[in-house]
Amino acid sequence: MRLTRRALVCAGGLGMAALSFPSTAFGQAQTTAKRFVLVILRGGLDGLAAVPAIGDPQFERARGGLAPPASGELAALALDGTFGLHPRLVGLHQRYAAGELIVVHACGTEYVDRSHFDAQNALEIGLGRPFARDEGWLNAALGALPAGTGRERGIAVGGAAPLVLHGPTPMTAWSPSRLTAPSDDTLMRLQRLYEAQDPHLAMALAAGQDAAMMAAASGATMGGGGGRGQSLVPLAQAAGTFLRAEDGPIAAVLEASGWDSHSGQAAPQGGLSRSLAGLDEGLEALRVALGPVWGQTVVAVVTEFGRTVAMNGSGGTDHGQGAAAFLLGGAVAGGRVIADWPGLLPGQLSDGRDLRITTSLNGVLKGVLSEHLGVSNAALARDVFPDSASLRPVSGLIRV
Amino acid sequence: MPNLALATLALHRFGFGAAPGDAQQIAGDPRGWVKAQLRSSAPEPAAISALPAAEDDLLAFGRWLASRRLRNNGGAQIARAAEREGITPEQLRAFSLEESYVAAFRDRYAAAVHARITAAVVSPEPVRERLVHFWSNHFTVSGVKPQAVALPPSFERDVVRGHLQGAFATMLIASCQHPGMLIYLDNWLSAGPNSVAVQGRGRGRRAPGVGRITGLNENLAREVLELHTMGVGSGYSQDDVRALATILTGWTYARPDLRDFVSDRVGTRAGGALFTFDPAMHEPGVPTLLGVAYPQEGVAQGVAALTALARQPATAQFLATKLTRHFLADTPPPAVVDRVARAYRDTDGALPAMMEALVDSPEAWEAPLTKFRRPEEYLIALMRAIRADTLPQGAPATALAALGQRPYAAPGPNGWPDTEEAWMGADLVWKRVEFAGTLAGRMARADLDAVALAEGVLGPFLSAPTREALTRAESPEQALTLFFACPELQRR
Repeated sequence: MRLTRRALVCAGGLGMAALSFPSTAFGQAQTTAKRFVLVILRGGLDGLAAVPAIGDPQFERARGGLAPPASGELAALALDGTFGLHPRLVGLHQRYAAGELIVVHACGTEYVDRSHFDAQNALEIGLGRPFARDEGWLNAALGALPAGTGRERGIAVGGAAPLVLHGPTPMTAWSPSRLTAPSDDTLMRLQRLYEAQDPHLAMALAAGQDAAMMAAASGATMGGGGGRGQSLVPLAQAAGTFLRAEDGPIAAVLEASGWDSHSGQAAPQGGLSRSLAGLDEGLEALRVALGPVWGQTVVAVVTEFGRTVAMNGSGGTDHGQGAAAFLLGGAVAGGRVIADWPGLLPGQLSDGRDLRITTSLNGVLKGVLSEHLGVSNAALARDVFPDSASLRPVSGLIRV
Repeated sequence: MPNLALATLALHRFGFGAAPGDAQQIAGDPRGWVKAQLRSSAPEPAAISALPAAEDDLLAFGRWLASRRLRNNGGAQIARAAEREGITPEQLRAFSLEESYVAAFRDRYAAAVHARITAAVVSPEPVRERLVHFWSNHFTVSGVKPQAVALPPSFERDVVRGHLQGAFATMLIASCQHPGMLIYLDNWLSAGPNSVAVQGRGRGRRAPGVGRITGLNENLAREVLELHTMGVGSGYSQDDVRALATILTGWTYARPDLRDFVSDRVGTRAGGALFTFDPAMHEPGVPTLLGVAYPQEGVAQGVAALTALARQPATAQFLATKLTRHFLADTPPPAVVDRVARAYRDTDGALPAMMEALVDSPEAWEAPLTKFRRPEEYLIALMRAIRADTLPQGAPATALAALGQRPYAAPGPNGWPDTEEAWMGADLVWKRVEFAGTLAGRMARADLDAVALAEGVLGPFLSAPTREALTRAESPEQALTLFFACPELQRR
């Protein structure tokens, strides 16, 4: 993580009091009451499994054994005439009916080369070329908001802050803990030691201590227990608790892994069904935990790429291109699918195998950041998604 | 002339840290101490030898899965299979009532983590253990994937420990032939679209949870190119991924069946002995990979292709960069990378030669200790510092889960990241500090002198501010917390 302003201050020797007594920031509201949650699905969610194009006459042929049955409990939950949701996405289906869910399909970044790690990097830095910078677009977006008095504007819930939060804007991270913290006096001495010798450690410790204090103040410590890679529910509850506080962070990032469905993904009790059910439960837990601020919230659920349209040799799908994404929340002008559907005929597929990307995911995200959080178009085109002036933010995503 | 500074540096940079007295022991020839371990003939650590064989891990997982199915919805299918196999209903009933499989499974994981950490903490050859961790991470098999949950420890033992002193190509081939990797990256589920198994009459090949295997699965092939050999963006194409997947069709393993599960047989075979080539799954024809045709028959085709991949200049560069980054600095000095890559090319990928080139580089003894210890390295360094060679079973696994690096459970096939950026986060540093405090709370005694301990562990690298903070601490517990969490111990 880059040095934050906080670290620059303490490197200059001025920040000692603020660092030792982070509670001075308590009770100060953030610069906006709006909230944003980013959920990153690592491994490449199969968009056509989550959002099957059941109304496309080519769908059954193209998907073969992966196409859901037309009726019964494994049938897709209908959205509009063309698309449905996976039967385990019951909660999302309710949000759709409530006008709080937008489904985006055949979307993606400019990166199309099918490496998980490059694709995730591109997704998080907001550029088509992986590793072109080491800052994330969400950090830049939060940094572009007007000055406020709140503490860290972004928080990663569940472990280390992902790349999308890295950058100069102060961020923090939190996960449930069974360990006990050293005394305040010990922490103060340690912080001094870090400041004298290792500014990176000093910055990280200060932010970690802030998060622990926020958690203690908001009661999020009680939600814990779930280890990494476990259920999304306790982490979603914690995220909701953080964001609900008036002086809480503006944005939270949650991550879920296990989407790399190379085999056996159609099985009703299989890994993908379980993962989708877990995602659905997690998002519902988030909605409940956000309580009164749900109406001011947008949750974006994104993944690094979609998967092959056809089934591979093992009842699964390999790395592909066009993906599905979700925007949900009380602030979303939902109840619709955004897709410039590229079609599933062999000649319509990218490289003869993948759903073509016809909607820019970054364009959608620009629309959310602009209309919901009020990030200026200039900042979006320059800092958040660099050199993207020609990419118009998708408008009308947010309820007015 | 004895050199305590270089000895301390060697212990931290190339080993897993130091306990008081360690530096004095190797001060006569720190470099020789490192290099002797690269071609050591010492036996496998006792803790590792006590672990079950890969075959037994497969049996354990198979038993667990089959007993669960029998209790749940797959009962009828298994009963039919049992009838075919001549397994009596009594045998099956006894098997399905065995509730201990899940618990045994959890114990198996805790025992393996315990062995890995113990080996790293007590080994007189910590450099070798570091290399085990490095290559085990390079060829990640992660238990995060349910089907692979039991296999990372035996993979590490069979593929990495067994081939540390050989050529990279040998380790690569061993990796692609181990049930751990074959299952983790799905190659056992990959069949040639025109193979006998797919096109022929009969039932073909089936797999639990998958059904009939109908064609290629690209997963292993892509990661071999992207993560194990050439590295992403080094010039291969999607067609090359398909070609390598085609070449590796038929590479699978001897799967235990129901008869093995209901028996109380203990599996004794190592992973390599379980590798089989299934000709019926292999795609016929002469595939072309990176412009080279592979006319070989059977398993020789894959061996030739992997050997050629190991010889690619991009592979030398990729591995040299990764190894140098791991031991020296997040931004590895290009001159060292060049030397290591050259040693790799000159010796056809001899792993000890790569390390020797690294250790013989002046930068290895001059560069400051800037690498931020990953949580597991940090925990081991603390254990070594206090000579904690007996730990409660399960303690390291629990601690490392809290610190964000559950052993054998990296999030993806690219393994754990190896740069500060990935680990220097608010939550992870906070957890380390909590852990330091918790450990100090358990350890602190009035007669435990944190200053002496710090001097013994860090030698000339103990800074004046840290020494002063330890001296001024208000209690032994606080002093020990500050030592465990001090900046010098966080880096190597």
